[in-house]
Amino acid sequence: MVCVCVCVCVCVSVCQVPVAEGKSVQQTVDMLHKKLEQLGAVKQGNFWVDCETYQATGNATGQPTKLLYVMHNSETPLSSMALFEGGPGLTADANFDVLMVKLKSHFQNAKGHKVESRGTRYRYCDFLVKIGTVAMSSSARGISVEVEYCACVIPGDCWNLMKEFMQSFLGSSTPELPAVFTSKAEGLYAPVDCMDTMSQYLELFGKVRKQQVLAGSGVR
Amino acid sequence: MADVMNVGVNLEAFSQAINAIQALRSSVTRVFDSLKDGMKNKETLEGREKVFITEFQDNLQSVNRDLNELERLSTLVGRPSESHPLHNSGLLSLDPVQDKTPLYSQLLQAYKWSNKLQYHAGLASSLLNQQSLKRSANQMGTSAKRRPKVQPSTLALPTQYVDDVISRIGRMFPDMSIELFRPNGTSAVLLVTLGKVLKAIVVMRSLFIDRTIVRGYHENVYSEDGKVKHIITLHVQVTDHATTALLHYQLPQMPDVVVRSFMTWLRSYIKLFQTPCQRCGKYLQEGLPPTWRDFRTLEAFHDTCRQ
Repeated sequence: MVCVCVCVCVCVSVCQVPVAEGKSVQQTVDMLHKKLEQLGAVKQGNFWVDCETYQATGNATGQPTKLLYVMHNSETPLSSMALFEGGPGLTADANFDVLMVKLKSHFQNAKGHKVESRGTRYRYCDFLVKIGTVAMSSSARGISVEVEYCACVIPGDCWNLMKEFMQSFLGSSTPELPAVFTSKAEGLYAPVDCMDTMSQYLELFGKVRKQQVLAGSGVR
Repeated sequence: MADVMNVGVNLEAFSQAINAIQALRSSVTRVFDSLKDGMKNKETLEGREKVFITEFQDNLQSVNRDLNELERLSTLVGRPSESHPLHNSGLLSLDPVQDKTPLYSQLLQAYKWSNKLQYHAGLASSLLNQQSLKRSANQMGTSAKRRPKVQPSTLALPTQYVDDVISRIGRMFPDMSIELFRPNGTSAVLLVTLGKVLKAIVVMRSLFIDRTIVRGYHENVYSEDGKVKHIITLHVQVTDHATTALLHYQLPQMPDVVVRSFMTWLRSYIKLFQTPCQRCGKYLQEGLPPTWRDFRTLEAFHDTCRQ
């Protein structure tokens, strides 16, 4: 039942953009939209990425509970991706969610921890830019920006090119080379994997969750 | 037009053979007619049987005679020449409606004209190469011994030679792999994979490059329809530049030099995403990296920066 989906993987960089001073999340997102439209990008629909957390039960005492994250991406609507933080991941078809329901005894769904990012999709020449509002329990917590360069599959080759593009509309919020590429065993010049995009989103969602803890001043 | 198809065919024997076929047909019909009619009415049963059998025998013998005659004539008729000058296009001559669609005669005219043109062009180029048009004092190749040989026809090179040339060029560049296919007939189609950057499909006509299409490294080039999900502007532009390059590198007498220069030029794209433009210093111009490679120096420029 677990099937591998064939997806064309291209270089993707996901980063978080801080909310502008004195402005709300929505206003910052609108500012980014405007900058992109000024560049000449064309709106091409919407996107969403979501992430659900499952806790592994039945661990030996003393060990921290392992968290399994099941993610979905509107770019690949028929697949589900399941990964451990920093660990292995797998790609399966949409029925994986049903499988997780059946595995209730081993993996418990932490319902309050669902994070998702929704927003618009822009296309500029060979770049796909997705600006999304990251929300947890239906309250906006941050902004995610995903930039995809469709022409190249080697991150080491085109990173400078992508950085130049991101600087044109993100300004100082341009990220560095994502850690998922630098930490690969084969190095920067190995072709990208579908999982790399999801790992980057996972990292971003993790940061957003931690932010929420801070905002609640210790009360969870 | 008539002489092309009928070389080696004896027209006289041909018409005789057609007559012989008609005779054979009628004698066979006679056999079956006599069988169908049955025995004729005679006084005694023996008489009837005898007459029937003799008639039957006569008919069969006439069939035999006609068949032998036909076989004899068929050996005399001869065969149309095996080597069609136009291969399958020669079958166009069998079209009965010659007035409305004179394709075959027009095709022959076109081929004769282009062969003559090529021959004259070859002569002219050898003559012009003798007289060096350069103003420098160094004269190259003026002695009769060093005059380049006018090859009879570089359009009809043997496939083995083409294979050898391509494999030699493929070995020259370690980061570029060239695969050769022959999907339809003798024209080679090369799939050039340049590192992990791009793939180029190069269609050739003997050793001349006819057309190229550039695709991404991750795209599937083997499927029949070859449709791509998103058209990547970068590859469209590189395809345009590659077409310009194949028109630029021309040398009719030495097509292998042309192919080598083209491959060297194409190889300069190995650092397509890493090289900034030589003129403006930036990576991107209107969303595209520097896609133009100068034909002599192989420097990278944006399409808008190269003027």
